[in-house]
Amino acid sequence: MSSSDGLQVRSLGAAWGSAPVLTDVDLDVAEGEFVVLMGPNGSGKTTLLRCLVGLETPTTGTISLRGKVLDRIPTHRRGIGMLFQEPALFPHRTVWENVAYGLAVARRPRAEVDRRVADMLELLHLQPLADRAPDALSGGERQRVALARTLAPEPALVLLDEPFASVDAEIRRDLRSAFRRALSATRTAALHVTHDREEGLVLADRVVLLSEGRILQDGPPAKVYAAPASAESARFLGYNVVEEDGGTFAVAPSDVEIRPPGPGTHSGVVTLSGFAGANQLLEISLDDGTGIECRLPIGSRPPTVGETVGVRWGRSVPLPTRAA
Amino acid sequence: MTGRFDGTIPLLPVVAFVAAFAIVPAALLLATGTVGLGGLSGLVRLAADPLNRQALENSLLQGGASAAAAVAVGAPAGVFLGRYTFRGRSELLAVLIVPFLLPTLAVVLGVETIFGTGGVVSSVIPGTRVLGSGFGGIVAANVLYNAPVVTLLTAVGVESSSPALEETVATLGGGPFATFRDGWGRPAALGAAAGAVLTFLFSALAFAGPLLLCGAKCYTVEARIWSLDQVLLSPAAAAGLAVLLIGLLALPAAAYLALVARLRAARRSSDRPARPVPWGRPWVWPFAAATLVLGLSVAALLLAVLDAAARPAAPGAGEFSAFMQLFGPSVTSRLGVSTLAATANTVFFATVATALALLFAIATGFGLSARPGAARALRALVFAPLVVSPVVLSFALSQFWRPVFGGSSTVGVLILLAQATLAIPFALPAVEVALRRVPANLRESAQTLGQSPWPAYLDVELPLVRDGLVTAGLFAFALSFGEFTATYFLATPTFTTLPIELYRLEGVREPALAAAVAGLLVLVSLVAFLVIVRGGRRVEF
Repeated sequence: MSSSDGLQVRSLGAAWGSAPVLTDVDLDVAEGEFVVLMGPNGSGKTTLLRCLVGLETPTTGTISLRGKVLDRIPTHRRGIGMLFQEPALFPHRTVWENVAYGLAVARRPRAEVDRRVADMLELLHLQPLADRAPDALSGGERQRVALARTLAPEPALVLLDEPFASVDAEIRRDLRSAFRRALSATRTAALHVTHDREEGLVLADRVVLLSEGRILQDGPPAKVYAAPASAESARFLGYNVVEEDGGTFAVAPSDVEIRPPGPGTHSGVVTLSGFAGANQLLEISLDDGTGIECRLPIGSRPPTVGETVGVRWGRSVPLPTRAA
Repeated sequence: MTGRFDGTIPLLPVVAFVAAFAIVPAALLLATGTVGLGGLSGLVRLAADPLNRQALENSLLQGGASAAAAVAVGAPAGVFLGRYTFRGRSELLAVLIVPFLLPTLAVVLGVETIFGTGGVVSSVIPGTRVLGSGFGGIVAANVLYNAPVVTLLTAVGVESSSPALEETVATLGGGPFATFRDGWGRPAALGAAAGAVLTFLFSALAFAGPLLLCGAKCYTVEARIWSLDQVLLSPAAAAGLAVLLIGLLALPAAAYLALVARLRAARRSSDRPARPVPWGRPWVWPFAAATLVLGLSVAALLLAVLDAAARPAAPGAGEFSAFMQLFGPSVTSRLGVSTLAATANTVFFATVATALALLFAIATGFGLSARPGAARALRALVFAPLVVSPVVLSFALSQFWRPVFGGSSTVGVLILLAQATLAIPFALPAVEVALRRVPANLRESAQTLGQSPWPAYLDVELPLVRDGLVTAGLFAFALSFGEFTATYFLATPTFTTLPIELYRLEGVREPALAAAVAGLLVLVSLVAFLVIVRGGRRVEF
C-alpha cells in the first residue's frame, strides 16, 4: 500500500491519566478493505476508533488518511464516518433527514442530496421508512439507517464500533450481510470493532487482534486462525493453550478427544458437561491445573461432572516459546 | 485523554459576568467593610451591637425554625410523590413549584389573608392567628414558600434510589423498615437535607416577611443591612454586617452544594419504574395525608391572594374594581409612577434578565459538554450571589458600578444586572440537567458527519432540550418578574416595578390595591407554571 492509500496509523499511543490504553499501535486499512479489529473487553478497541475519528487525543503517534496527516484536524473535517454501538439517530429528524444530514452539512446541491439519499435508502432497503421518525423503527432498522447516514457523505473510511451488539441474534445475522453488502457496493474502507470472534472472522478481509492496547496479530482471517502468533491470540481465537513436551501448543476444542485415563493421555476431572446445541460442551481441569474446553459430537456419551477422564488431542499448533 | 474541543471558552462569559457583577464587587465591599470598621475587632464590635446581634439571632432562629417546619411538612410528601405513581401525580409535582415562582411579597400577603386579622382560616380557628404576623407569620410564609422545594428535592432523592436494591432487600426477607433503611431512606434523607439547608438559607435571608409581618424587631441580617444603608445611611456598618452575613451562611451554602452534587450523582444512576400506591398498607396514609395537606396549602395560598385581589376596592364598588383603580390616576398621584409604567418596567427587566440568563445557560451547556468536570465549580460560582444575598449583591453593585456607568440609566442597568445574576443559578441547572440526558454519541455522530462542534450543539442537542430551555426561561422570567429585594434596594421611582408598587401600596395603607398587584404577579407566575407543566416539565435545582 502506498502512503497515499487508505489509513495509516503509526506508533499510536493513548492513556487515561497515567494508565496506558493504547501502546505503539501500527495499523493500515487499504482503500475498499474491510478490516476487523478484535479483542477482549477493555483491550482498547473503542479508544483506538475514537482516536482515529478525533474524539480522543492520542498521546503519541501519527494518523494519516489518503496521505493526509490527521493529527491536528478536528473530527468534522477528517472525512471519517463512525457508527456507534447505539445508532444515535437524531430523534427530531425523519429517516430521510437523518440520512441527508452529512450531505446537508457539506452543502451539497439539493439534487445531489436527493439522489444520494435515495441511493442509500435503496441500498439498505429503507425506502418505505423514509418519512418515519427514528422512534418508530425497530433496532435493526435503526442500525441500517445509521449506516445509510454514515455512508451518504462518501467518507474515506467508516469505523464500526460494535454496531450489532445491541440487537438480537437473528437481526444481527441480517445486519451483518446488509452491512457487508453495502460497504462492498460503495467500495468504502471499513474498520469494524467486535469482540465476537465468529463475526469478525466471517466478515473480515483482514483481522487485527488487539489486547491490552497492543496489536497481537494482523492478517487474513484463515491465516490468523490457522497460525495464532501467541498464546493470547490463540485464547482469543477460541483455542485451548496447553504445555506439552516443553513446548506451548494451541488446540482447537473440536480436536480434543476423551479417552479412559491411562498412558498417552492427560488426566483431568470434568467440571462442566452440557448440551450446547450443535455439540456437547465439556470443561475439564487437567491435573496440572490447565483448563481445557472440549466439544464432542452429539450422540457420544458425555462423561459426567466429577468423573476423571483421559484427554488427548489430534492436531495442535505450536506457539512461540514463553508466550504462554 | 480528552477530545479535541476544549470547552473552556464557552464557560468564560458566565464566569466573567458573575465575577464582574457579583463576586468582585461583593469582595471589594466586604474588604471595605472589614477595613472600614477596623478589622476583626471592628466586626466583633459590630456584632455586639444589640440591634445587629438581634438581626443575627433572628436570621438563625427564623432560618432554623423554618427549615425544621418545612422538612416536617415537605419531606413526607416528597417520600409519597417519589415512591408512588397515581393519577394527578405529575400535575401535583408541578403545582408544588408555584409558591417558589411567586414573589415573596405575594406569599406574605397570602399568609396575612389566610392567618391575619379577619383571615380566611384565623376567623374560623382563632388559634392560628399566631401564624398571621410576627415570628409565626414569618415562619409560615417561609414554610409556604420553601416546603414544596423540600418536597421536590426529597422526591428527587427517593426517585434516585435503586429499585433493584429494594427488591434485593425484599427477596432477602427485609420488610418495609429494612427497605427504608437499606434502600430509599438514604437518598430521601439526602434530598430532604438539601431542601432543609436551602430553606435555612432563603429564610435566614428573608426580607419581605420580616419587613411586612413583624417590623424591626424581627429583621434578619438582610433586612438590617438594608435598614443600615438605606434608612440609617450608614453604609460602612452595612458593609461590615454583610461580612458577618456571609460568614454566617458560607458553611450552609457549601453544605447545600455538596448535598445537591450527591443527589445529582445518585440520580444519574437510576430510572425508577412506576409503582402504584399500596393503599392497603396503613403506614402509607400519613404520607398521603401530608401530600394532601401540602397540595391544599399551596392551593389555599393562591386562592387567598386571587380572592383578595378580586375584592372591591371600596365599599359598594364591584368585584375586580381594584384592578381598574390600579391603572387609574389616583395610584400615579400617590406613588409618583403609573401602574402601566411599573408593569412595563417589570416586563422589560424580567425579559432582558431572562434572555441574559438563557444565553449564559446555552453557552455554558456547550462548554460543559466538553468539560463536564467543571460543572460543580461552575454551580458553586453561580450560586454564590444567592449566598451573598440580594441586598448585599445590590449594595455591592451600587457601590462598585454606579460610579463606572454614570448617567441616568445606571439604575436600570444595575437592576438588570442584579436580576440576571439572581436568575442564572436557576436557569443554568435546568439546561444543564436536560443536556446531560442527551446521549453524547448524538453530538459525536453529527461531528463525524462533518458538523463542527458549535453547529452540532445548536443543530442536534439544543432542539432535544427545548423543554429544559422553556423551563429555564420561564423559571428565570417568573423569578425576575417577582424579584423584590435587590430591585427595591436599587430602584428609583422611575424604575419602580410591580413588586415595589405592591410594597409601597401596603405602606400607604391601600390593601385592596396591593392585593390587586399581588393578584397580577400571581397570575403571571401561574401562566409561567402552566407552560412549564405542559409536557410534564420539571424544575431542577
